[in-house]
Amino acid sequence: VANSVIIIVFSILLIRFFHIQVYGHNKYKKRADNNRIRAIPTAAPRGVILDRYGQILVDNYPTYILTGLPNEMDNENWNFSVISACTAVDTAILIENFDRYFRGRFIPSRITRDLTFEQLSCIEEHKHELTGINYIQFPERSFPSGVNMSHVLGYVKEIDRSLLSNMVDFEQYDVGDLIGWQGIEKQYENQLRGKKGLAFLQVDAFGREVGAVKDINDIKPIPGKDVFTTIDLSLQKTLEKAMSSYKGIVLVTDPATGQILAFVSSPDFSPDIFTGNTTLRQWREIVNDPTKPLLNRITNGLYPPGSTLKMITAIALLEGGLTIEQNEEFECAGIYQFGDRVFKCWKVSGHGKVNLDQAITQSCNIFFYQAVQRISLNRFINLCRSFGFGSKTGIDLPNELTGLLPTRDYMNRRYTSRGWSRGHLLNLALGQGDLLTTPIQLAVYINKIATKGNTFIPHFLLSKVPEPTNSMNLNEQTWIYIQDYLLHAVTDKNGTGSAADPKINGTNVYGKTGTAQNPHGDDHAWFVGYAKNRNQMASTIILVENGGSGGKIAAPIARIAFEHLFNNNIENRLAAK
Amino acid sequence: MFKTVYNQTSDMPVSILVFTAMLTILGLISLFSISMNQFDEVGITTFTKQLLFLIPAFVGFITILFIPKYMIHKYIYIAYSLMLIFVLTPFLFETIAGTHRWINFGLPVSIQPSEFAKWIVVVTLARYLSDHNLQMKKFMTILFPILIALLPAVIILQQPDLGTAIILLTPILPMLYWVGARPFHLFILVAPLLSIATAFHTISFTFWAIIMGSIIYLTQPRLVFGVLLYFGNIFLGLLSPFLWNSLRPYQQKRILTLFNPELDPLGAAYQTIQSKVAIGSGGFFGKGLGWGTQTHLKFLPVQESDFIVSVIGEELGFITIAIMLIVFSIFLLKVVKLAFLAKERFPGLVLIGIGTIFMAHVFVNTAMSTGMIPVKGLPLPFISAGGSFLLSCFIMIGLIMKMGNESIE
Repeated sequence: VANSVIIIVFSILLIRFFHIQVYGHNKYKKRADNNRIRAIPTAAPRGVILDRYGQILVDNYPTYILTGLPNEMDNENWNFSVISACTAVDTAILIENFDRYFRGRFIPSRITRDLTFEQLSCIEEHKHELTGINYIQFPERSFPSGVNMSHVLGYVKEIDRSLLSNMVDFEQYDVGDLIGWQGIEKQYENQLRGKKGLAFLQVDAFGREVGAVKDINDIKPIPGKDVFTTIDLSLQKTLEKAMSSYKGIVLVTDPATGQILAFVSSPDFSPDIFTGNTTLRQWREIVNDPTKPLLNRITNGLYPPGSTLKMITAIALLEGGLTIEQNEEFECAGIYQFGDRVFKCWKVSGHGKVNLDQAITQSCNIFFYQAVQRISLNRFINLCRSFGFGSKTGIDLPNELTGLLPTRDYMNRRYTSRGWSRGHLLNLALGQGDLLTTPIQLAVYINKIATKGNTFIPHFLLSKVPEPTNSMNLNEQTWIYIQDYLLHAVTDKNGTGSAADPKINGTNVYGKTGTAQNPHGDDHAWFVGYAKNRNQMASTIILVENGGSGGKIAAPIARIAFEHLFNNNIENRLAAK
Repeated sequence: MFKTVYNQTSDMPVSILVFTAMLTILGLISLFSISMNQFDEVGITTFTKQLLFLIPAFVGFITILFIPKYMIHKYIYIAYSLMLIFVLTPFLFETIAGTHRWINFGLPVSIQPSEFAKWIVVVTLARYLSDHNLQMKKFMTILFPILIALLPAVIILQQPDLGTAIILLTPILPMLYWVGARPFHLFILVAPLLSIATAFHTISFTFWAIIMGSIIYLTQPRLVFGVLLYFGNIFLGLLSPFLWNSLRPYQQKRILTLFNPELDPLGAAYQTIQSKVAIGSGGFFGKGLGWGTQTHLKFLPVQESDFIVSVIGEELGFITIAIMLIVFSIFLLKVVKLAFLAKERFPGLVLIGIGTIFMAHVFVNTAMSTGMIPVKGLPLPFISAGGSFLLSCFIMIGLIMKMGNESIE
């Protein structure tokens, strides 16, 4: 009996081992290999975004993110309370985050971020109590420069499943990757984003890394390329500060190259708000803010340009054959009747007799109401078009708007052919009425005047070979006259733009103010112009929404910009990289 | 004196020593592999520890060889009493790893007295069953030997160490059978345990009821007794799920923890799965010594003792496992043969008891590692790491050599 018991028992054991080791070998081998090697994608850091002198605007820093795999989280409340104890983040916020990033039961959802080493250690200590909780390294964007520039820099977004399924180049991305979603981050995505690597790691039963795998080499991530922008950080900082209490824009460009030196759309916000610490409530506040901080006013704000458009009429008059004599004057009595409509000059007492030079210098409306009648709508509109109005400038930011240039067809459609008259043209000549422009279009317009038509498309990428704008076909003399008028508008004792002149030796400031009527509230204050020191130039567009008088409100901000640039040895500044 | 010892040893079954040596070396090889990636303590690994433990193990083995058989027979009751005291002493010390299993004298190693209870209980049972002219056909006479084993088992269960407690009880049935107890009486002993154990699984319980019925019918006890026995067991079986459910959850948990103290945090089947993956991935020839990924990446829990067979299976393959199992079975067959050859009851009983203990260890350990039975921490004789266990095993080998001595003193 004893012998047979021993033999039977050991036969059973032998068969059992045979069954597992020989019969089930393949199955278990696969399991063992899965246990052993884990291919972990290693994030490639995105390229850094720098200003023209190499100062960092957008940087990376590694953060640790705590994720929860919903499928494995047996006791969510317990998990959250342990995490809360470790991270000192309120449980309610953790749950809110978890729900916000929730994308499915089998996809890790983000619980909290920016874990410190102490917090990580604490979580590691409690790992056996936490089911489905993991932490991963994640390169977060950081903004060390102290400027906002939110509309320029843009932001990155974590790709989720629904986003991926809607993407054209989806095979290059994975769920959880970062993608540039606005601004430069989007525009130069291909440069900024690196190539992900793969780390092959041996992991033990608890998912802890025990070292590299011997026979397989890691695929090293290739970091993204850095992007040098044309931005001048200190100028940007100065102008953001100057605009901090206004709604509006400041744009500083170099007409000779098209490079953008400063780009302020106010109100703005810290680009940080996209990186995850913002609660839903804060986010709603930003979205619903009546001052629209999310709107990029420079490329996507539509405004009546007001008197800043008078140079178009002036050029039409100068170019239009002999329609006007150099010194032909019109009488401004402060009021002008055209048909059954009454037009007013901003100066109630009137300017008296004014020529074209004085009309621009003093921004006389009545002069233009009368003079514009000598040119046709088509002539006016075509000239506007050749200066870039009504089409995209081609700035290297996504989603630029075209503005509105009312052609004859447009007017017929809008008002029927009998519903509009030359009275509308009178309005258009003063930059009012149906015509709407974006500030960036005004920048191209003023850059063309500054360079006699030889400017370049505004851009942020420093290494970009500037692309010329469409060529102009105007008389050399016309450019000279217009530039003279703009110089007088700043330097003349009656000039409306005198507040824009920082009065630096050797530096001339050219400019035109504007006070645009606006159906939604107080007038918008404009200043467009440029400053020139020998061959160095910088143009500026200032808009203060509902600011009132362009000369009083907008022009002084232009002076801050010019002062900053031309007091600081502009030769070096514009040349430097 | 040495001459008498030599005379005795010359008659001893040397093959037992060969098997022991083979298994011990296999154990050392696997522990060496495990130790290759241990850097925790300076120079001290599981392997070097085990090498050191071999010294007391040899001392214990030689000592047993020098003690005459009659001395063992004479003083075993005293040893039994001392053993009871020893298994109680851990309760005076602080817990180690949450249990009262070990006695720590402030040395780097602790002693696990319950290991020694195994062979002391066997020898005690052997003396009791051989001393008395027992009426083995009577049911009541088999109750006292059960008490002998049960007393230390209950104490050890409180430590808690269910594995060792069960091991202590296993020699009872074979030894009783050896001295001629009626199989039906042994059946009556086992029946209630099986009734409770099968009660939670309908098909098993049905089978058990049929088998029990057939056995009772075939042995033809008195009708009233047979009916009482049958329905008593059925009733017990039917009642146990209700009794279980009427317990409060924390009480249930307490009982479950008692039966499985190592309820691991990663889920019940985790250890078994990892062990099976290790063994299965080893294949026929194994991955080679030191190449077991399951072993060295710590997927295997308690690999140096309870799951050492998984290490062997993974790194050295089915071929080695098969040789090991064959060696164990030849070893046990040899022990049984020696028991048959023994001219007295006492040594025969000792051999049967010790053989049972070895067999239980091997079966529980390998069956658990391959997922045939629930996880129950029991080491594999001669192979698993552990000083007390190794010493105890070598003492038992000494006893086999002693009792298997064919010469008459």
